[in-house]
Amino acid sequence: MPTFDLPAFLQEFVYDQHNPLLFNNGFFVFFFAAFIALYYAFRNNIKTRRYIFCAFSLYFFYKASGEFVALVIISAVVDFFLSNAIYRQTNKGKRTFLLILSIIFNLGMLFYFKYTNFFIAISNEMFHASFNPLNILLPVGISFYTFENLSYTIDVYRDELKPATKFSDYLLFLSFFPKLVMGPIVRAHDFLPQINEPYKITETDFAKGFFLIISGMFKKLVISDYLTLNYVNYIFDDPGRYTGLENLFAVYCYAAVIYCDFSGYSDVALGIARWLGFKIPVNFLSPYQSKNITEFWRRWHISLSSWLKDYLYIPLGGNRKGTVATYFFALLFFGGVFFSCSYLFNFSYIISASITAGLLLLFVLPAMIKKGKGGIPAGLNLLTTMLLGGFWHGASWNFIIWGALHGTALTIHKIWMLITGKAFAKINNRWWYNAIAIIITFHFVCFCWIFFKAGDLPTGMIMVKQIAFDFKGNVWSAFFNNYWPVLGMLALAAVLHAFPDTLADKVISSFTRIPLIIYILVFFAFVAIYGYFKSAEQVLPIYLQF
Amino acid sequence: MNSNFRVRNFVLISVTLYLLLSFAASWVGFPWLKRVNLIANVVHTTDSSGVDIVAANGDTSAPLQIEKIASKNLELYKLPKFITNFNSDTSRPALFSFAQKLHDLKSGKKRKIRIGYFGDSMIEGDLITQMLRRLMQGEFGGNGVGFVPISSPNPGARATIIHTFSNGWEDENFKVNTTKDNLYLSGHTFRGADDWVRVKDQTVKDSNAIIEKSLLCGRADHSVEINVDGRSVTINAPDVFNRIPLVNDHATAIKVAIADESFPVYGLTFESGSGIFVDNFSFRGITGVEYNKIDSNFLKTIAANNPYDLIVFQYGVNLMFRPNDKNFNWYAKIVLPAIHKLKNAFPNADFLMTSTADRAFNYGGEYKSAVGIDTLIKVQAELAYQTGAGFYNHFETMGGHDAIVRWASATPSLANKDYVHPNARGADILAGYLFEAIMNDYKKLNKKK
Repeated sequence: MPTFDLPAFLQEFVYDQHNPLLFNNGFFVFFFAAFIALYYAFRNNIKTRRYIFCAFSLYFFYKASGEFVALVIISAVVDFFLSNAIYRQTNKGKRTFLLILSIIFNLGMLFYFKYTNFFIAISNEMFHASFNPLNILLPVGISFYTFENLSYTIDVYRDELKPATKFSDYLLFLSFFPKLVMGPIVRAHDFLPQINEPYKITETDFAKGFFLIISGMFKKLVISDYLTLNYVNYIFDDPGRYTGLENLFAVYCYAAVIYCDFSGYSDVALGIARWLGFKIPVNFLSPYQSKNITEFWRRWHISLSSWLKDYLYIPLGGNRKGTVATYFFALLFFGGVFFSCSYLFNFSYIISASITAGLLLLFVLPAMIKKGKGGIPAGLNLLTTMLLGGFWHGASWNFIIWGALHGTALTIHKIWMLITGKAFAKINNRWWYNAIAIIITFHFVCFCWIFFKAGDLPTGMIMVKQIAFDFKGNVWSAFFNNYWPVLGMLALAAVLHAFPDTLADKVISSFTRIPLIIYILVFFAFVAIYGYFKSAEQVLPIYLQF
Repeated sequence: MNSNFRVRNFVLISVTLYLLLSFAASWVGFPWLKRVNLIANVVHTTDSSGVDIVAANGDTSAPLQIEKIASKNLELYKLPKFITNFNSDTSRPALFSFAQKLHDLKSGKKRKIRIGYFGDSMIEGDLITQMLRRLMQGEFGGNGVGFVPISSPNPGARATIIHTFSNGWEDENFKVNTTKDNLYLSGHTFRGADDWVRVKDQTVKDSNAIIEKSLLCGRADHSVEINVDGRSVTINAPDVFNRIPLVNDHATAIKVAIADESFPVYGLTFESGSGIFVDNFSFRGITGVEYNKIDSNFLKTIAANNPYDLIVFQYGVNLMFRPNDKNFNWYAKIVLPAIHKLKNAFPNADFLMTSTADRAFNYGGEYKSAVGIDTLIKVQAELAYQTGAGFYNHFETMGGHDAIVRWASATPSLANKDYVHPNARGADILAGYLFEAIMNDYKKLNKKK
């Protein structure tokens, strides 16, 4: 006989740090149903509807991160007033001062919460000091809403945007619950005009929204979670215990995991927004189909790369000129390369210097080939953008290395295009050329993921070493016998990823109106599949060598 | 046409249906719906946990019969951070002769105390033993990492040595032994056609320490020429097991090359002239039963030429290879002869059995300690009781049920997400607790005097 537990029921409404609110919590189902009922009931009363939306968004944030909800509100207040002050101010100096104030406030908050302990660790290492790391928790979503705040005030400063006149408009832009936790990074000029529009969606919007939500959930909750728990965690935690073959598949699986995780979450956010009458630009476009690394960055986390382009790369000087910051970061980078070669890898000064010089040459090459000086700062600006973009992902050397690898690869691709552009004009559209290009690009991206995911640099190096020197292809049959469910899931991810991006849209638009019962059946089919994989018997790790 | 009403209709109808289904599942109990039940947190069903746990029924063997002795109390095995020999009177050291040897060393006598720490992948890479060694040597003196096998599956992971070796070593071991060679305590025997091994001991902090570097090997019918640090050395190995000192100086590294396939070698060992040494004998995936395969005379020769004073026997995690096993009586039966054999071969060594550490499985979406872990640890304690060995409970020490889940999710993490292996940080903690327990046991000796 089931019994109802009232205290547990009431506890559900309070933030629980061990069980923060995500799209896959049971609580979210009720949250969303209550929200939709109210949102629909007040759809024609724009003001009430907006307040309801704000209240639900802030409550969502509270359930996801507890008291940190105050940070969103504070930063909304500060940026709302600063942006309006910038807008009204006609004196250029004062405008700039206000903008700097806003940048210091936003970046200061991000730095305090995200990077304090990283810099404490560095100063301890460099000066042999022993400052204790502070007990700072990272507020959920802070990396995302800080960037949204920054782009907003900068746009107002550039006279590209009229600031929101109602505080609740701005608060909703910042706290809009579908994208609060993991993005995408939304731009105010896309979003603000949509807030007070009539609630109107087409049949295609409904179908597309449904598709995005279910496929996003499937990617995140079925594929990504299964691969993480049954394989990726085992290997990445202790790669030295496993053969190169197992390590290689862990990297492939992680490539699937991070894509499914990140794009899955984005898709759900886009889908929910679509259902509520908002259009948010797409964030991922089958990135592993890219034929080169430049294309990869046009398909991967698009809202971040376009943000970095508009608010970091271009202010640094873009592809035309260098600024003080360009050379400052370039100096840091090349110094860092030399330093890590000699201290981290114990190379001699001569070898370290030649590696550094070789890298430097890479960034000068495009300019030499084109016989114009302009190319040098362009490459360095790109490198700086990627370094800081890497650092944005987390306060660790791993992410900086990851960014540096991508920045260097972008330059190498540029050189490759300059050298082969004309010579390969005849073949670079053939299918086999594309296939080779896709495979190379994918494997380079995978190589970088090693450093993105590994707990620290030595762990990443062990993985590379295992794959290169301890591959042990002969364990394949034992490997397959034990991990076939994992490999099956990986294959499914690969097949789903291989479909053209436009396929879903084509299929959806071929129907005029699908009966509600079909949607409901698909939804419950998903719940059943999710339930099955959530309680499926775990795939246990085995030893393939002694 | 505006389709916004369809969003409302879909959401409200689906959620209502889902809720009804969840209620129905709470009444009837669909096991696969449990993890996606919307009301699981607030409505409790009376039937168990909803997950059917079926003990493996293939095993019908009777449990170990233990003799009840009036002065002994089996229940002492449940105490954390405590070494017991099950005597109800806990004022005397459980590892009595080991404690006396520690006392000798502590009171200035020059001697060696050797601990052989036997285990599975839990101690691979010198985990647990590296910290235990450091703490013991810090307290009682001694320099040197002890035993190092010729090769290992994961040489980069061991922080206490720099270990490089050629690829040609022929490796007979517990898992693959076609020639039926004698296998050393490490579970391996190596033969080199034209092979080398180099080991640098990273544990020696005292630059004045004289470290004796020895070769552990089997019998050679004739004198063998080997190459030590570039010099040719002729050695004789008359016994089935030999400990042959090669170099005795300040150096902490040695390179040995062997080109004689008929000559079985086991490893190198690094020890100062006096002090305490901890040898790590790790072998992935085993349960301790394997030691029954080693010849008694061979073991006795080891005891004579390279004696041990304490043997720690830490297995169990590989017995829980299926999530639902609850009966480990079969294990008690087959491991008993192995324990007897080791105990008989090393009569001067105290014998300390440890429980398995925690291991968790995914039970319907949630990681929890293996359902059979309490039974297994009881069986292990009974084995210690029955054979007169000491017992130490890693499982209770690390925090009991679900400790490994907490360790894996701690920041920084103390265990891997396979929910089996504590990482280096976690292993250091386990070693610290074990050292504390050994010290507490040793101090009882002084109180008695």
